[in-house]
Amino acid sequence: MGEPILVVVFLRGGADGLGLVCPASDENLIAARPEDLRVLRHGDGAGRQIAQEVADVDFRFHPNLGPLADLYDAGDLSLIHASGLTEATRSHFDAEARIERGLFGVTPPGDPSGWIGRWLAAANPGGPMPALAVGTQQPASLLGSGAAVSEALGDLMVAGGHWLAPALRARLAAGFGDHGPLATPVAGLLHLSEMIGKRLWSEADQALLTYAPAVPYPENPLTPSLMTVAQTIKQDMGLRVATVDFGSWDTHVAQSGVFAEMAGWLAGSVMAFWRDLGPLQQDVSVVVMSEFGRRLRSNTAGGTDHGRGNVMFVLGPQARGGRMVGRWPGLAHEALEEAADLAVVTDYRAVLAEVLTGHMRLADGGRVFPGFDAAPLGLWG
Amino acid sequence: MLTRREFHSRLLAALAVTAVPAAAAAGGGLYLNRLTFGARSGEEVADPVAWLEDQLAMPAADDGLTARLAAARLRIAYAAGKDQNGQSWPARDEVRPLTTLTADPAELLYCIDWEQGMDFAERARPADEVIAASLIRAVHAPAQLREVMTQFWHDHFNVNAHKDEFCAAFFAGHDAALRENALGNFGVLLAETARSPAMLYYLNNADSRASPANENYARELLELHTLGAANYMNDRYDDWQSMPKGPDGVALGYMDLDVYEVARAFTGWSVADGRYVTEGVNAARTGRFGYIEAWHDPYQKRILGVEFAPYGGPMQDGERVLRMLARHPGTARFVCTKIARRLLADEPDARLVGDLAAVFLTAADAPDQIAQVIRALVLHPSFAATTPQKLRRPFEFLAALYRATGAEVTGTENAFQWQLMRAGWRQHEFGPPTGHPDTADKWVGASALNRVVDLGLYAHDDWFGVASVDFTAQPEETVGGFMSRWAARLGGVADWAAAAGVDPMAAMSDLSDDERKGLASGAIAMAALTPQFLLR
Repeated sequence: MGEPILVVVFLRGGADGLGLVCPASDENLIAARPEDLRVLRHGDGAGRQIAQEVADVDFRFHPNLGPLADLYDAGDLSLIHASGLTEATRSHFDAEARIERGLFGVTPPGDPSGWIGRWLAAANPGGPMPALAVGTQQPASLLGSGAAVSEALGDLMVAGGHWLAPALRARLAAGFGDHGPLATPVAGLLHLSEMIGKRLWSEADQALLTYAPAVPYPENPLTPSLMTVAQTIKQDMGLRVATVDFGSWDTHVAQSGVFAEMAGWLAGSVMAFWRDLGPLQQDVSVVVMSEFGRRLRSNTAGGTDHGRGNVMFVLGPQARGGRMVGRWPGLAHEALEEAADLAVVTDYRAVLAEVLTGHMRLADGGRVFPGFDAAPLGLWG
Repeated sequence: MLTRREFHSRLLAALAVTAVPAAAAAGGGLYLNRLTFGARSGEEVADPVAWLEDQLAMPAADDGLTARLAAARLRIAYAAGKDQNGQSWPARDEVRPLTTLTADPAELLYCIDWEQGMDFAERARPADEVIAASLIRAVHAPAQLREVMTQFWHDHFNVNAHKDEFCAAFFAGHDAALRENALGNFGVLLAETARSPAMLYYLNNADSRASPANENYARELLELHTLGAANYMNDRYDDWQSMPKGPDGVALGYMDLDVYEVARAFTGWSVADGRYVTEGVNAARTGRFGYIEAWHDPYQKRILGVEFAPYGGPMQDGERVLRMLARHPGTARFVCTKIARRLLADEPDARLVGDLAAVFLTAADAPDQIAQVIRALVLHPSFAATTPQKLRRPFEFLAALYRATGAEVTGTENAFQWQLMRAGWRQHEFGPPTGHPDTADKWVGASALNRVVDLGLYAHDDWFGVASVDFTAQPEETVGGFMSRWAARLGGVADWAAAAGVDPMAAMSDLSDDERKGLASGAIAMAALTPQFLLR
């Protein structure tokens, strides 16, 4: 067994948790939304039922989340519904910043780090590439981490195959010494370039070796990101934490079609990634989360506006997977937050803190979420 | 109302500077680096104050630029196809002029008409034409400051032109409105964007009707266009009564209750695209803003603590909201912070921002309000005192390269966009409504930085199909002299040639076109990938 690895898939835009894992029998939901914005219990489009009694509600996966239902039934996946940020914000950018910083209640404010950045500082894992943000911009969770930010490993070769490569690399190495915003990033890029060059560059072909996954992945926008993570894990570069941003889940208008498509992409690519890992699964946990859920009542444009409580997924070896964890507050009017949204009854930090202590073997979760102290949810026993 | 005399005295007090010495200290190089897309080779500013006034006064229209845009071509290519209605179309692969840039929006309704069969590339074509034109403008427009600010407003009032065919069809109008008002009055600019069909589609207000209203535009109007997230106080106050208010009775911040109410105020603000309104009634077909009275929620509202009476009349609720927001001190501070961040420093000095916000508010009714803010910024002591630290973002880097080398940007392909995207820049198709981030830390991820390296290396190959440079060698020129000449255009030297295995004494006359281009590209890249060129 190797060092534990954490992969965070962030569903940007506020994914509709009530549509992903739907309290399909709830009368308040049925009254508040048309059929295409909830999961049905009967007929061709019915969703897979969650084989667990939760508050007498018939919860069902979105029909396109079949692969996640498989992982759930196999005991590899946990659901934490009605979870999220305890601070009442319905702004994407505010909510994302607060979730990824994870410093609610910390005074004085001003600590610029993100929660994963603080984990890296606490665990100090070393290795050539301990943290990777797949994409072009680093998410706030990795602030203070010095993570590599890239969509693909090959993108990190500086001037690969260009006649000027040695001279250019030398100039970049020498030319940015004391110039503030670029000095560290340029040095970091050159270091990564050298490492990738040693592992993935074929002198014979003057090209990068391509990644051959163990299983086929579906073609969709999430797949390249997860393939990059799988490749990095298998390349043995000391990867401990990776972030993947996926989607535009901000479905204010005509939600059902695009939401169904993205749900299918999510489930299909996560399943392929999981199977691609093979025996390395035992080292990896995947957390799927979003900044908030969406309004219980749909709007007049076939969409839903920004809401509060949402569902989180934890995939990976755990003590008691295949369960919906945490309390379900229900959707009765008096149970809603500000009379409009699924309430947040489980602080998202409870989930992340437990992943860090249970899976990542961090001794003290308080170093990552200062001031936060809650009873464990029991994901790891 | 202020008298003219009071206005001027307050303006001078707000500026609180001895303008001319500060400007002289700044020097022309800073002006070109910060207020344009980069200095052209050999370009100098002899009299910075006169140059600034000239730039602030220069109109958007320019005959030379118009001629360039008329001469530009952009490829369109797609396979034969047919749609669900059984209509079919032949394959095409051709270069076409940018015909939709100045078209009347009514002529572009075909883009959103699915009764007409065509490839999606035809429906999205107007967006691609604006993207192609944007690089031509950035490199060649004489009104550089206006172009820089147009790009700024594109990020401030972000629309993803390729979100769908609706945003694509009417994006040129959005672009033109931002450019026309880029140095003008913020309230006018805000009102234009609130009526911009591309914006109405992008943030879903075109579909917003009572009830419940669609909140998307309302939230971003408050958070991104005017007051900013710093004034979102939802978790600080339990109700609107406890929110602190300014002397005019308007709340100093906003909460979700305000978002809901603002959304109600804008119900019915839609697009005259022939849409179904109610039984037997369709909207007109002008491709412009259209108000749908039947969709509006006319009842009383309370926004930022201010009571709105019921039945205020067509569009009155929305217009009143826009007026309140345009002259709100929170808006002044937020917008001025962003302008200072764009033109000067990632974290602009708080006192500078305070001074600019005072100018912004004092000039709230002036037709040149934004120009006044920029003038105050440039003539402020902070401007000259701030060391270059703004990283040229990918689009700006590419434009600066072409300006420095004297490249002719004529279009034919938008392939540069692909390389920019890999660096994190999506010209006119950035997805989230925040627009591109404007601090260096967001642009220095390893792979994004590496794509900037690639831009330096390959921008002058023909890969992108946009720019051409005459790389002819001069008679008797040596390799070293040739490379130094190209490096010098970016303020660099090619003293590294021998170390890179190039014989500087070799004669250029022995080299092929490709070899000349390779040497020049190398000299350009080595000069561009330096702190002196990357930071402004």
